[in-house]
Amino acid sequence: MDYFSTALIAATVIGALCGLVGSLVVLRRRTFFAQALTHATFPGAVAAAMLGLSIPLGAFVASIAIVGIMTVIGRVRRQGSQVASGIVLTAGFALGVLLQALNPSLPVHVDSFLVGSILTTTGSDIGLAGGVLVVAVLVIVFFGKELLFSTFDASGYRAAGYREWPMELLTLGLITATVVTAMPAVGAILAIALIAAPAAAARLLARTTGQILVAAPVLGATAGISGVLLSRALDVAAGPAIALTAAAFFLLALAVRQIRSRAGSSRTAALPTRPASGRAAARASLGWES
Amino acid sequence: MDAWGALLDAFSLPFMSRALVVLLVLSLVAGIVGVLVNLRGLEFISDGLTHAVFPGIAIGFVWGGREGLFAGAIVAAVLTAIVLAVLMRKAVPVDAAIAIVFTAMFSIGVIVVSRQTNYVGQLEQLLFGRLLTISVVEVVQTIVICAIALLLVGVTLKEQLFRAFDRTGFSAVGYRPFVLDLVLNVAIALVVVAASSAVGTLLVLAVLIVPGAVARLVTVRLWLLFPVAAVFAAVAAWLGLSLGYVASVGAGINLPSGATVVLVLVAGYALALVGRLLLDRLRAPQPRPAAVL
Amino acid sequence: MNENDSQPRTAAPLALHVAGASFAYAQTPALEDVAFDLRAGEAVALIGPNGSGKSTLLKGVLGLIHRTAGTVEVLGESPAPAGAVGYVPQADELDPEFPVTLEQVVMMGRYRSLGWLRLPGKRDRAHVAAALEAVGLSERARTRFGELSGGQQQRGLLARALASGPRLLLLDEPFNGLDQENRNALVDTVKRLKADGVAVLISTHDLELARDVCESVLLLNGGQVAFGPLDEVLSLENVQRTFRSVGVELDEHTVVVPSHTGH
Repeated sequence: MDYFSTALIAATVIGALCGLVGSLVVLRRRTFFAQALTHATFPGAVAAAMLGLSIPLGAFVASIAIVGIMTVIGRVRRQGSQVASGIVLTAGFALGVLLQALNPSLPVHVDSFLVGSILTTTGSDIGLAGGVLVVAVLVIVFFGKELLFSTFDASGYRAAGYREWPMELLTLGLITATVVTAMPAVGAILAIALIAAPAAAARLLARTTGQILVAAPVLGATAGISGVLLSRALDVAAGPAIALTAAAFFLLALAVRQIRSRAGSSRTAALPTRPASGRAAARASLGWES
Repeated sequence: MDAWGALLDAFSLPFMSRALVVLLVLSLVAGIVGVLVNLRGLEFISDGLTHAVFPGIAIGFVWGGREGLFAGAIVAAVLTAIVLAVLMRKAVPVDAAIAIVFTAMFSIGVIVVSRQTNYVGQLEQLLFGRLLTISVVEVVQTIVICAIALLLVGVTLKEQLFRAFDRTGFSAVGYRPFVLDLVLNVAIALVVVAASSAVGTLLVLAVLIVPGAVARLVTVRLWLLFPVAAVFAAVAAWLGLSLGYVASVGAGINLPSGATVVLVLVAGYALALVGRLLLDRLRAPQPRPAAVL
Repeated sequence: MNENDSQPRTAAPLALHVAGASFAYAQTPALEDVAFDLRAGEAVALIGPNGSGKSTLLKGVLGLIHRTAGTVEVLGESPAPAGAVGYVPQADELDPEFPVTLEQVVMMGRYRSLGWLRLPGKRDRAHVAAALEAVGLSERARTRFGELSGGQQQRGLLARALASGPRLLLLDEPFNGLDQENRNALVDTVKRLKADGVAVLISTHDLELARDVCESVLLLNGGQVAFGPLDEVLSLENVQRTFRSVGVELDEHTVVVPSHTGH
């Protein structure tokens, strides 16, 4: 198999994976978290290369540490999740750069880390991504309704007697695995495009979460394939071509939605969003019995 | 060479003092713009802007060399600031929209740059800057643009705080949040532009995020946030530069200066975080808010 | 409770005039065909189940959401004259960790009249002190807002609205979860404001409160169920029509009938 067909297969698998897990990222509003993760795994990758270990393994170990740190910061009063993501992002990136500068002979470079190189993906990269995709599909098939409930209404989910952390852990695990496997092919920054854009486009147009979960991977895979084809036709880098195709899908979805609502169709999609706050329970009592 | 000497003498070298001046100006920015970024929760927008500046710099450089670089960056940054302010009004999931906008912009930049020969060098320069080879002209440029950003935020400061505290109440008395969002976004964008050619986008982002977060850990007094953040950033910049100098002169290790300053900032944050957690533990155990990752 | 001396007050000027008004979020209609009047020195209670449009109506009066039909006039003008309307949101929508003192929150009520660039002066501080006095929180002025109890936060937000000297005051469920002390303090403040000629629109679940401070009631359930003087509107039939959709059980023992005949 030549490198081009390998690239096409890699783009399809990784695009579908990013689209599927991206749906969870977008619905649970974890985009900045995923972004921080991509940058913060950089020192893990560099360290793994220094020690002669597998780079995805190093990135994965680093991301577990990072998720731990972010959880701690996110729980501290007056800090929260945005700060946690921001700190970890800059810290991780700076650490990676420092490690790399101290070991200039390493095969891990900032540019390929940032934008990836899909034309050099190997069979094992594809195998890894395919494995993660299968796991993600299984998780969504078996835990779909719990994931949906906890995403839609976290306080209602807790009130119904569930614990939230298993769902949180499950999503974080999937996001981490996706980021780590997608990075060699599309890079840290562009992986975010592939995670966010197809899912956000699907969310704009789909009426149900089920439709999003089907449409997003299809859009992701399509963006991957068209990006690779475009990069050959126009002689531009593959990573940016994929990212721009995905962004174009989002713009298109935005336009379609705009036209739809302008056409006055009152059947606007009932979009699943997180409610502003869980005050419903507090308001249930009508307070005039006294 | 003793430690005290490193902390003072190093800055008698012109290139070291230029770097220090730029970082001190940025510390002032951290004290005002950075605190607002924290109070408004605009960390992700700031990150987005650092990426979105890239195509402007790339296209500007291709067209007009070093001078074009600055103009291109300003155009790209202000455009993105406007687009992001518009997106913040819409009902679309904002964080995803931000991510899509900045990755798309970044991709355009990569495509433009990748047609140049020295692609990797330029990308790295944008990310990490050339802190130790800044020219006097660049120092002046940075100061002027940061001053404009500070002015923009300064004249709207009390309204920005009102908006940050209570968005609905703010609109209810007749203000238009869009205008303020635009002003703050443009200010952040200007800071990013001013500093990105000199110190790199990584360091700009750290300066916008970390000192504000430290100030929140240190004090709950509104007007103390600003000086605390600025002083913390200034001290970290000074220590970071000195550390790089000592490592280079004393031990012959070439630390990337921008990344070193970032890591000193983050180390300071870690100290503040641990200190805060210990203090909270010493006082009456308080109920923690639910985990929000 | 509800003295019958409200007759002469109808001569008071109209503070709020709403006629045939409908409101929508984006393309989704939220509240249709509302009509009522509110005079200076009087109070109207907005009553309805969750999602019935109480907050929508308040935001519609404030001009924060799109009006698709009808008129909303404040003091005879549309849009409302600047500074005429005060709004008290629910305190639990605010970040309790935000680093502001109560005094600083109340000062925000002065920003609009201060304008851009100018910093608060002696006069603004006097207004803030008076507003804090009015809600009985003068001694807590320098406490961090998030450290106040829920009821005190609510009173603090009321003080912020007062600091701007409004002619029309909108309160969004101000009595949710308040203890007796805070509730009484809030009731007293609202009564004093009415005596000063301020018109008050309160969304609430608390019918007791409606009886204490309001002359009229507007029942909402996606649209207007009824509007009129308190005793006429709060009939068993009307309240059942308003709350039926949420499955609240009503019988003659729980429905509010004029208190002297109550159980």
